[in-house]
Amino acid sequence: MGKLFSSPKLLAIAIGVVAMLLISVAGGALGASFGFGWLGGPIPFISVPAERVAYIGSYPLLNSTVMFWFGGLILIFVAWRATRKMSDVPSGLQNLFEVIYEFFGNTVDGAAGGTAKAGRRFLALVSTIFLVVVIINWVGILPGVGSVGRIETIEEWVHHHLPKTEAKVQEKHPEYTPVQTEAAALVHLLEEHGEDTFVAFDGSIVPLGRGEQARVPLNKIVTFSESGLHQIEEAIHHGDDLDALPVLDSIHSDIKKGVVQGEFVYKGQDFKGKTVGLLVPFLRGASTDINTTLAIALVAMFTVQVWGIRALGVRGYGGKFFVNPISQGPIATFVGILEGFGELTRTLSFTFRLFGNMFAGEILLIAMAFLLPLIGIIPFMGLELFVGLIQGYIFAMLTLVFGVMAVASHGDHDSHAEDH
Amino acid sequence: MDAEATKYLGAAISIGVGAIGPGIGIGLLAGKAMEAIGRNPEATGPVQQNMILGLAFAEAIAIYALVIAIIILFV
Repeated sequence: MGKLFSSPKLLAIAIGVVAMLLISVAGGALGASFGFGWLGGPIPFISVPAERVAYIGSYPLLNSTVMFWFGGLILIFVAWRATRKMSDVPSGLQNLFEVIYEFFGNTVDGAAGGTAKAGRRFLALVSTIFLVVVIINWVGILPGVGSVGRIETIEEWVHHHLPKTEAKVQEKHPEYTPVQTEAAALVHLLEEHGEDTFVAFDGSIVPLGRGEQARVPLNKIVTFSESGLHQIEEAIHHGDDLDALPVLDSIHSDIKKGVVQGEFVYKGQDFKGKTVGLLVPFLRGASTDINTTLAIALVAMFTVQVWGIRALGVRGYGGKFFVNPISQGPIATFVGILEGFGELTRTLSFTFRLFGNMFAGEILLIAMAFLLPLIGIIPFMGLELFVGLIQGYIFAMLTLVFGVMAVASHGDHDSHAEDH
Repeated sequence: MDAEATKYLGAAISIGVGAIGPGIGIGLLAGKAMEAIGRNPEATGPVQQNMILGLAFAEAIAIYALVIAIIILFV
């Protein structure tokens, strides 16, 4: 402590860090409950499926797909830079790529039995999987990913949630016309989600209010009452003309306007007339989408089968899964069937391992940014970098291990040579 | 108990109980790896690499539980 107070530069840094800590705690979620919370925002809406950002023709472009292409472009660009002017004594980027190549070259040779001839067939896919997974993991935690986006208005929200409710209504009352089904589903939706909260925005940029208090429940946005909903239900029951119902009309127009209708005042700030909605981010890490991880897992497992068939022939490789019960015994047949299922479970395991790690990391970053706005996220960024690297390494290594197991013929039991 | 409360309880129990097994497994695995490195420091490289491989399988089970919890909460 003596050294701390004697050196003025160290003291200034220490005071700065403590000040930042206090500002973050007071400005974040904890402060918001005491009346401070000027740095805080509402906790973002976390959705497991990736969201649409654009339409190419009729194909919906997801925000994770955009990030996957971006990651691929970065990888291509970096690889091009590294191999432009190759020198015998490498330096900089070329050196980095040589380290990665040599590391995977040695590992692949070692795992496959010691000789380069046995191992080289695995090298291309294994190192590609490593590079791709690491790059898309790291690109997915850049600032702006998951935090900058557009506002999904109430109309779009209703549009997304109506089909599910409509299907349920259709099941219970198959005799309803489409208009009646839609009205009944709307009633159901408002009843169930009346207390759901949406974020109020100032114009189209900044959320209003402090922290979690910026949220407005649905029943203040779309004005409806018990009797109003009852009226609609009665009209549907009697088969009345729903277009003539003023209650339904007002609900529809409220949804279209998508602003706060009822009384909602927080700390003297009146929310009436402000736009409400949910944040849909423009960019989202590619590996936080199950589709991406499933695609990579399918490619890996398919290639493992191809390696097996190439090495052992169709009969030899098929003989691992379809065993003749008469010559080998029924237990061997059962084991063969289990191996077949094992291939499927390995694909799913690949998918969920990468998805779970990355999605949980994203939720962790969001939660920490919500709780401690300025500095809370710093140690978890470091964790995310580390986890991204390890998950890429694990994906590549497991593909290699499954490949080596696939090409090993049945009588070959010691197929692992020691590497150095 | 209404549906919302059961949802939260289900998600919490899923990840809570689901992390016990992998936690013990990873601890055992890392412990044995430390022992091996202590007995033979020259073999640190291969021991470390194989430990990471084993870690992946053990951790994947915890991730399955986490995915189920996320699906219960958000889908």
